[in-house]
Amino acid sequence: MKPATLEFVKQRFAEYYQRQNLTVPSSLEQREWGFIFFDAAAEVRMRRHMAFADPEELGAYVKSLVPAHVYYSTAYYQTPSAPTMNEKHWAGADLIFDLDADHIVRGPYAMMLARVKEETEKLLAMLTDELGFARSQIRIAFSGGRGYHIHVTDIAVRGWGSQERREIVDYVCGIGLDPAAMLAPGGGETESDLRSDRAGAEGARTGWRRRYVETLRAHLLDLAARDPAEATAYLAGLDGIGKRTAAEFLADIGSLAAGAPEDLLKNRVVRALTAAPGFEERLRDAGARADEPVTTDIKRLIRTPGSLHGGSGMRVVPLDIRDFADFDPLVDAVVFGDRDVRVDLKANFATSLLGNTYSLDAGIRNVPEALAIFLCCRGVAEIAGGA
Amino acid sequence: MGIVLDRKELIKYPFLKESQQLARRHVESLEEFLGSSPGDAALERAKERVVAALTFKKEFQDENTQNLKPELEIASYAIARLLVSCVGDRSLVDRLARYEAERASFFLAAEEPEIRRFVAWSVGIDTGAAAMPVTRYVELVPHLRDRRWRLVNRDVRQGGVNLEPGEIDELIRERIRAIIADQLPLRVPAGICERLAPVTGEIAALQQQQVLEQFGEVREEAFPPCISALIQAITAGTNLTHMGRFAITSFLHTIGMNVAQIADVFARAPDFDPDMTMYQVEHISGRGGTEYTPPSCATMRTFGLCANRDRDCERVNHPLSYYRLKKNIKKKRS
Repeated sequence: MKPATLEFVKQRFAEYYQRQNLTVPSSLEQREWGFIFFDAAAEVRMRRHMAFADPEELGAYVKSLVPAHVYYSTAYYQTPSAPTMNEKHWAGADLIFDLDADHIVRGPYAMMLARVKEETEKLLAMLTDELGFARSQIRIAFSGGRGYHIHVTDIAVRGWGSQERREIVDYVCGIGLDPAAMLAPGGGETESDLRSDRAGAEGARTGWRRRYVETLRAHLLDLAARDPAEATAYLAGLDGIGKRTAAEFLADIGSLAAGAPEDLLKNRVVRALTAAPGFEERLRDAGARADEPVTTDIKRLIRTPGSLHGGSGMRVVPLDIRDFADFDPLVDAVVFGDRDVRVDLKANFATSLLGNTYSLDAGIRNVPEALAIFLCCRGVAEIAGGA
Repeated sequence: MGIVLDRKELIKYPFLKESQQLARRHVESLEEFLGSSPGDAALERAKERVVAALTFKKEFQDENTQNLKPELEIASYAIARLLVSCVGDRSLVDRLARYEAERASFFLAAEEPEIRRFVAWSVGIDTGAAAMPVTRYVELVPHLRDRRWRLVNRDVRQGGVNLEPGEIDELIRERIRAIIADQLPLRVPAGICERLAPVTGEIAALQQQQVLEQFGEVREEAFPPCISALIQAITAGTNLTHMGRFAITSFLHTIGMNVAQIADVFARAPDFDPDMTMYQVEHISGRGGTEYTPPSCATMRTFGLCANRDRDCERVNHPLSYYRLKKNIKKKRS
C-alpha cells in the first residue's frame, strides 16, 4: 500500500470507529486481545496479550489507534494480559467453528461467499437439530473475508479440551465415519417398523445415519448412470475388485440401491466403494466443511464482531441465527458510502457490491468510496492523485 | 442417594468418598502408618495392585476373599497411588487408573442394581437413561479407542446420544478410569517417596522390562509412514512445525528411545542445533514433569501430518498401534 492509500484507508476506518462500537464479548475482562496495525513494518506483527477492564477502555483504544484488524481470545483467562500462555491461566473457551471459502471452493468472490453460506447453514442445522445446542447460545459472525465464524457460548462446553471439541468437529465434518455403524439396522425405530414399511423406517433415520445412506445411494445411482465401460473400469480399479465382479455389480446396482441399508455392506464392491476417495469426498460434502484446527484450538484469537477486516474493508458482522438466511455480505457488510474516489487499478477486476456489478479495466478511474476501500484493502488498487 | 455401603462393599470401590473416609479414620499419620506392621501389609498389597496393573490383570475374583482388613485394603489403594506418583511416569499412572477401573467394573457387573446405580451416580452417570446428553457424552469418550464410540458414529438426536444395552457399563468403567487418572500424579512429600523408594525401585524396574518386552529393539522399518515422512523431512533439512517435532519426539520416546537416541535422529538435519534439540526433546519426553503421549491418527490428520497413508493405516487409530502391528508381523515372518 502506498502512503496515500494507507492514509485514505486508515482515515475511513477511523471515521467508522468514531460512529460504531465493537461488539463486546461476554466476560470482557477475561479475554486476551490482539491487534494488527496499518503502519506495521513489512512483516505484519500482531500486538497481543492485551486486556481491557471495560468496554469504554476498549473503545477508546480502538478509536485512538485505529487498527487494521481486531481479535480477541475465544478463551477466558484469569490473567489475559500475561505474556505467556502458562501465566495467563486458561479458564475455559467458547466452542468455535470457522468456515472459510478458501478451504472449500475456488472462484469469483460472490460465488465463494454463496457456497460458504450453504456450509454454514448445514453446520447450524446440525448444531441445533442434532447436537441440541440452544439457538440462544449460538452467535454467528461474517468474518469480513470469505467466511463465517460460529461461537457457541454454552457454559457446558467451556471447560472442554481439544479432545472433546474434536468429537464435535469430527461430527459436523463427518470425519471417521464407520460404514458398519452407519448402515446398521435400527436406531430408534422398532424392528417391526423396519419390516412393515421401508419408507417409514427411512424417515426414522436421522443425522449421519440418514446422510450416509442417502449419499451412498446417490453414489450408486450416479455409477449406474455412467457409461458402462467407464463405470466398470472405475470399479475394477478399486482394491480387490475384478472386471467380472464389476460388471455383475453394475447389472445389479439398481435393486441394491433400493434395498435395505444393512444389506449394502454385505456386497464386496460396496465395501470397496465406501473406502475409496471419491466416496469420502462426497461424504465431506454431506457434512459441513468447518476448519478442524480452529475448533480444536482452545487458545485461539478470533476476529471481533463489529470490527473492520483490514484485508477487505468489510465489517465483521455479528448475526443472530434468525437473521442469517437473509444476510448478504456484499450488501450488509459494506459500511462505506458512494462518493466518488479516484483509484488506480492494477489489473482488471470484477465484483459486485451494494447491489451493483462492476467490471473494471485496469487504470485510473472513479469508483464509489465503498468499492475503493475494498479494492485498496485487497491490494488491487491504489489511491490516484488529483480528483 | 440414601444408600449405605458396608465395609465389605467399600473395598470393591476404594475410590468412593465413603471408602476414603473409612480408611482415613484408621490412618492418622501416614508417616507413622507406613512404619507400622498394618502399614507394611497395606504397602505389600499396594505393590500387588501396581504390579497387577503393569501385567494387565483382568481377573479379580480372588481379591474379594483377601483376608486383609477392609480399611487396610482401602489404604492399599491410596498407597498404590502414592507409589505411582513417586515413580512419576505417566504411563504407569495410566496403567493403575485402568486397573482400578477394570477391577471396579468387574465387581459392578455382579452387583445389586441399587449399589450399581449408587456407584454410577457417585461418578456422575445416570444408569436409568437410554440416551445421554451430547455435552456429557463427549466428555466421557475421548479416550475410548473403538470407532463405535466416536460421536460421528452414534445415533444422535436432539442433543441426545442413544446408548445400546451394556454400553453404560463401559462408560462407567471409563469414567472411573478418567477420574482416577485425572487425580494423579499426587504431590507426595519427598520424605514419603524416600520411604517408599525400595518398592518404587522394583516397580520402575518391572516397568522398564515391560517396555522392552513390548516394543523390543527399535526397528525403523516398522515405523508408520507418517513418522518415516517426518524423519525424511528432518534429514532433508525441512523445518518441521511444532506439532511435527512433537509428534516425532513423543513417538520415539514412547517406543523406548532415550533422549540421546532421539537427538541423534534430529542430528540428521543439516542445520542441527544440539542445545535446542536437547531442550525440546527433554521437555517432550517428560523431564519437565509431564510426559506427553504421541498424537493419534486423528490429530495427525488435523495437523496435516498424516502422510503416505497405506493399507495398514486402515487397521489402526494410532501411529503406535501401527508400529506394534508391523513389528509383530515382521517378528512372525522372521
